[in-house]
Amino acid sequence: MRLDNLLQEYHCPEGIWDEMCGVGAIRDHYKRVFHSLGQLEVSSLLQKDRMAAELFMNQGITFTVYSDDQGIERIFPFDVIPRIIPGREWDLIEQGIQQRLKALNLFLKDIYSNQQIIHDRVIPAALIASCPHYTREAFGISVPHDIYIHISGIDLIRGKDGRFYVLEDNLRTPSGVSYMLENREVTKRIFPHLLSDSQVRRVSNYPLLLHEILLQLAPSQVSDPTVVLLTPGVFNSAYYEHTFLARQMGISLVEGRDLTVDNHKVYMKTTNGLERVHVIYRRIDDEFLDPLVFRPDSALGVPGLMSAYRKGNVAIVNALGNGVADDKAVYAYVPDMIKYYLNEEPILPNVPTYQLSDPEARAYVFDNIRNMVIKRTNQSGGYGMIMGNTVTGAEWDKARLSIEKDFRNFIAQPIIPLSTVPCFIDGAFRPRHVDLRPYALYGPQGVKIVPGGLTRVALKEGSLVVNSSQGGGSKDTWVID
Amino acid sequence: MERADGLLRVAATHYTLSMDKDVNGTMTWQPMLELFTRATPQEAATLGNDTEAVLKKILTDTTNTNSLRVIVSRARENARGVQDHITKEVWEAVNSIYHLAEGRGFEDQLSSYGALNVMEQFSRHCVLYTGITDITMPRGVGWSFMNLGKYLERSLEALALTNKQFELIQYDLSDTRDIVQWRYLLLSLSGYELYLKTYRSPHYTLNVLHQVLFNEHFPHSLLYSLTRLERHLRNVVKENRSADSEALVRHFGRIHARVRYMDLENINGRTLQEFFAELRQDLLQFSKRLSQHFFSYS
Repeated sequence: MRLDNLLQEYHCPEGIWDEMCGVGAIRDHYKRVFHSLGQLEVSSLLQKDRMAAELFMNQGITFTVYSDDQGIERIFPFDVIPRIIPGREWDLIEQGIQQRLKALNLFLKDIYSNQQIIHDRVIPAALIASCPHYTREAFGISVPHDIYIHISGIDLIRGKDGRFYVLEDNLRTPSGVSYMLENREVTKRIFPHLLSDSQVRRVSNYPLLLHEILLQLAPSQVSDPTVVLLTPGVFNSAYYEHTFLARQMGISLVEGRDLTVDNHKVYMKTTNGLERVHVIYRRIDDEFLDPLVFRPDSALGVPGLMSAYRKGNVAIVNALGNGVADDKAVYAYVPDMIKYYLNEEPILPNVPTYQLSDPEARAYVFDNIRNMVIKRTNQSGGYGMIMGNTVTGAEWDKARLSIEKDFRNFIAQPIIPLSTVPCFIDGAFRPRHVDLRPYALYGPQGVKIVPGGLTRVALKEGSLVVNSSQGGGSKDTWVID
Repeated sequence: MERADGLLRVAATHYTLSMDKDVNGTMTWQPMLELFTRATPQEAATLGNDTEAVLKKILTDTTNTNSLRVIVSRARENARGVQDHITKEVWEAVNSIYHLAEGRGFEDQLSSYGALNVMEQFSRHCVLYTGITDITMPRGVGWSFMNLGKYLERSLEALALTNKQFELIQYDLSDTRDIVQWRYLLLSLSGYELYLKTYRSPHYTLNVLHQVLFNEHFPHSLLYSLTRLERHLRNVVKENRSADSEALVRHFGRIHARVRYMDLENINGRTLQEFFAELRQDLLQFSKRLSQHFFSYS
């Protein structure tokens, strides 16, 4: 059976923006893919689906959950049908993210120095002071080129009005870029002609761009700086990405025990002796970085690292303390930051957000819980979310008690029906909700954004949770002109 | 990976030869169990004639730390930990063997007369891994360390297999065992064809001993492995000169010299038995010292 029969049966959901289906017709940017898929047999697409899974497994593109020393490896589920974004839409996203990052970076510089935004009462001091990720130890530290957010993943969703909204900023250790890159490599194997005919903007230069930026952060007097990627180790669920990026950039992958600090300088232990390190791309959270300053029980970090950082002898990417800027309560103030620092209106709007520390907002949210999603301000990965439309009465009662004890650390947003995209599931095309995580690199030459990013898809029918840890998958994202 | 390759060769050889009626009686799996498992002599004797049970024990049993499945899993975990020092191709080669070993149906294939096919499939993957490593790995310190591990393992394997075979004849060098009896050892080390081309005299026992210990054209001989070990050790130490590393080189040099300058004519049964035992100890000690010197902080 040919796929065009299945495609004709694809039901564009009512009241939801579908990325492929417009009003009564396929959207222009999907027409080529729609037509090409229609020429294939179902068995052919099933075979491509299997090939993609094998490619992921053979290359070890997995994320791992360890228990009892047995590694349970899971392929990050991949749907073969690409998600397509027209170039003109992407250009707007790019401008919006560049604007947003500039403002957030200025906010971080400000909040760890003069704190003018607080003095001017744009953001309440209490919000910052109560933020668990506001890192007092980072106050007053100068960072190279005043850049704090070198690598970011800005989560976007599309609402039923077709507009993109920023759902969340990931400014600490955003992950997933390796899946974005590998998705493209797999797509090249399964749809080679379609990809080349569609003139898709490339993503493969991301590691080179990143490496270039990392090198530029080294002290200027060093002609051949040493850059390392600091990983928590093989037991980390994102370890594959750490190895991937290290290999793609040609830099050493180290763990905390591979580094040592002597006289406020960082060194890597090698079989040739100690080698000075100038830039650390760390994939370890702040609190584990230096047991002499943060968590003393951390075995992942490097004792004395903060002293080297403070002295400017090592650059750390992303900078310490970024968590205050991607706190979900602070997120609500980003449009204000854009106006304050850049004197501009936000190009990409936020999702409406209610601070549960505000009694009025809290009352409104509780009265309308069925239409709300409640999140912890410092949580990620989709954990701890309360989906108002599916939570049971007993669960809500329990959750409400937690919220009332600690309302500063909760926000609420209306449940927005994310846009859908056709996915090839069980031999048929079915709509599934998606979001988009573009990756931005901020260096001395400005912000560069890789076209597309990672489209995350909620593979369970009706689910709005796209995180991999909650059963989500991903798609290759094409930006076409 | 070298251990996996060795295990597969020995197992496949034994499996094939066990179908022929041995001149001295029926072959049992007992020697293999003693070499590759921690089975007690009683367990080894009990299992010794049960081919299917033994194959499962040495290939898929995860309670046996020397089973193929466990070895490959460990190799893969090692590879995961050093991905920035190995090429992507090497990683994928190890990973694919791992998935083959973890795949469902592995045990079933061992039961259904498909055992030899399965072992050959794994052997081909091991050979592919060796080739990919050789072709893609840059010749730096990483490459040298890989070879140190490989040739150490190969030396120990050659010693263990040879020792086991000579143990069966009570280390009697005047034993007149036919070359057919020595096929097991030679095939397990991929040396049978070379033997046939190289050695013409009827002193089979001494000839075999010479080939596995001293023949430098034989890639699984002890001397071949030791020579390469020395080369790679010097490459590593060249980048890391210190008093301790020079001492390490001298330590190994003494082991190498002992084998290189040994006279086959002067070996008797007792000397041979002691030689095997002492050399094994020396190599293990060297291996430990190497690990402590370069990796002691971990």
